[in-house]
Amino acid sequence: MPQPPTTITDELGIALSNLADSATGILTPTLRLGVTGLSRAGKTIFITALVHNLLTQGRLPGFAPLADGRFIGAKLAEYPDATIPRFAYEQHLAALTANPPVWPESTRRISQLRIVLKFQSAKWWAGLTGPATLNLDIVDYPGEWLLDLPLLGLSFAEWSAEALARARQPGHAKEAAEFLKALDSMDVSKDASDSEAERMASTFTTYLRRSREHGALSTLPPGRFLLPGDLEGSPALTFAPLPRPGVPVRHGMLYAMLEGRFEAYKTQVVRPFFRDHFARLDRQVVLVDTLRALNAGSEAVNDLETALTAVLACFRQGEANPLLRPFVRNIDRILFAATKADHVHHTSHDRLGAILNRLVASASKRARFAGTTTRSIAMAGIRATSEGTIRENGETLPTLIGTPLKGEVLDGTSYDGKTEIALFPGDLPERPDSLFEDGQPVSLNFLRFTPPQKLDRNAAGDVVLPHIRLDRALDYLIGDWMA
Amino acid sequence: MKRPVARTISSSTTTSEAARSPRAFAADRAEIIEAVFTPEAEPGLLPLPPRRRSWVARLAWTSGGILVSAGLGLAADRLIRDLFASNEWLGWLGLGVLGVFLLAIVVLVTREMLALRRLRVLDALKADAARAVLDNDRKTAGAVTEQLLAIYAPRPDMARARQTLSDTLPHLFDGAEVIALAERSLMAPLDARAKALTAASARRVALVTAVSPRALVDIAFVIYESVRLAGAIAALYGARPGFFGFWRLARAVLAHLAVTGGLVLTDGVVEQLVGQGLAAKLSARLGEGVVNGLMTVRVGMAAMRVVRPLPYETLPMPTVRDFIGELVKVTTDAGKSA
Repeated sequence: MPQPPTTITDELGIALSNLADSATGILTPTLRLGVTGLSRAGKTIFITALVHNLLTQGRLPGFAPLADGRFIGAKLAEYPDATIPRFAYEQHLAALTANPPVWPESTRRISQLRIVLKFQSAKWWAGLTGPATLNLDIVDYPGEWLLDLPLLGLSFAEWSAEALARARQPGHAKEAAEFLKALDSMDVSKDASDSEAERMASTFTTYLRRSREHGALSTLPPGRFLLPGDLEGSPALTFAPLPRPGVPVRHGMLYAMLEGRFEAYKTQVVRPFFRDHFARLDRQVVLVDTLRALNAGSEAVNDLETALTAVLACFRQGEANPLLRPFVRNIDRILFAATKADHVHHTSHDRLGAILNRLVASASKRARFAGTTTRSIAMAGIRATSEGTIRENGETLPTLIGTPLKGEVLDGTSYDGKTEIALFPGDLPERPDSLFEDGQPVSLNFLRFTPPQKLDRNAAGDVVLPHIRLDRALDYLIGDWMA
Repeated sequence: MKRPVARTISSSTTTSEAARSPRAFAADRAEIIEAVFTPEAEPGLLPLPPRRRSWVARLAWTSGGILVSAGLGLAADRLIRDLFASNEWLGWLGLGVLGVFLLAIVVLVTREMLALRRLRVLDALKADAARAVLDNDRKTAGAVTEQLLAIYAPRPDMARARQTLSDTLPHLFDGAEVIALAERSLMAPLDARAKALTAASARRVALVTAVSPRALVDIAFVIYESVRLAGAIAALYGARPGFFGFWRLARAVLAHLAVTGGLVLTDGVVEQLVGQGLAAKLSARLGEGVVNGLMTVRVGMAAMRVVRPLPYETLPMPTVRDFIGELVKVTTDAGKSA
């Protein structure tokens, strides 16, 4: 019998923090925007581009407050909670504008950033009150951590059974062999020892890491094993699934020790994350790197779908009841974004969008049932390519012009990270379902490109980051709060 | 008592039609007929069905036209001959003046035709833009924007808007977005000025009605102001209507007013009634002033809707509500000072 992910105490705590937020937010409302996606989906780039474009009032024609001329300005502000790492916007921007530019480091832990937006509302009473301000809190966290949330409803025995069954599946044989061997060579009913626990945990982590690297993606909890954040090496992260011993479990057994650690992981790691960050979001953007899965084939696409559905099942979604608004925060808008749209010619953006829609279909159906509105777009936080056409054998191919990263390979050619090429990555399938079917290989090859080499500067001397549809994403996510 | 009888009916036509056995064909033999869906731009602005002229009327017009042009030609010929007869240099002078006159007529006609064509171009642009938004078609939207840029290229006051538009255009990939951007950057300043023109016209009409001694004067002034306003708004949006172009424009505006029944339905009827009732309470003349002012406002709005080259998608359509407050204020001020 699965338990609900929160206890009554948690719910009370969430309601109280929401009430505190509401009380401080009477004068300046605060919008908490969650940004998530599995690793390498483009979270860091998305946030960096979003913040930079807001700060410098960049090229955002589709962002209504800016296009209407109601947007006055934005600045970064101190985040009220001093214990949470700040999103390192300046470092990421420096990496992008360095010579040669490099992609910034990826998200390894939760981080937040507050940006204060000043604007003039278009409502009729706005003339009386003057310019309004809105605090936009951006919460960046690894999507892998979301995979942990279902664990809150599982006991150690239930989780072990699930995880071991998955490890014994034929598809996982290569990655899990070492872990299973270690498991077989061990007696679960013997006395607890730290070295034994560490050995099991490290082989289990290796198995998780391998299956993510080889299979392009992973749907395997616990997520902190892959991205430990600042908990690396702590006992709460040193456990592994074990089969139930034949004898009754007694205190001091290895099984009992790992069970205790699993419970600690749930109460000390997962639950605080859920309570303090996740349960208090107003808007959520889910970034999906469809192209990487497309490169890897139908199995990875299926895997991605499973992972996304699992991740999205955790959201607290639904319309906000105006009476309960001070206590309850629900995600009332979710944006699904297929990132790296700059790796596809714009004539194929429709198809990329269709594939994304297919991937998140069940998740968005559930969200809509709960009363949340969802939208999906193909976008790129930073546009690394330009577009062109090439005529070959009387055929006109739409191509992308950019510099592939060092080590990218196409048709046996390995690129050095300096040559600019025109790439035709193959046609995306017209029918998204064909990607989910085995036996019909789709010939696609999306190379990864370096960040744009030459960036324009605006009149104020700020770098202009080119993007694709970031303005529409922004308008959907925060535009209505600035109406 | 008769026995029940059943007889078979031998009729070849019914049997052959009723039973058609299933057959399969190769796909390429079939002619694929798909229902064509053409999105309607704006139902309110559909042109009236062209009136069919009977052939008798056409005959009458043609023959009359021939007679009149023959008469004019003959008159000109006679005039030049007479001039030559009286004095040779007078004849040459007359000939020269005639040439200049003909040349001017040709230029005028060309200009009129160009103006008419331009009105038609604006109409087509509006339909294209609406379609581009519906289909989210980047190509059509790009073509529409290019044309708009060409239309407004000689306008110094729109240099900045044109620059913004052409700078941002290569970074957009959605037809709807492109049209929205074009509307925001090109139409917004024009809309504001058209609204100001309308408001000024309405103010003048309201004031004149409120203080004028005779009803006939009001009517004449309302007509004069409406004509001027429609022309000014058309020129503002880049239509530059000539004489015939103006007739076409006036017809479209009147048709639009007729379709909306004189009341713009997007407005609350209540507001109009309240606005009128309020002023009518003050005095009958002031009420009339507001009513006439509102009439002018509606003409202005109809003209905007007819000549604006992009449909109202992102920007709000102007409503009578926007003008009422000012009208009431003007007339009450006039009432106080009178």
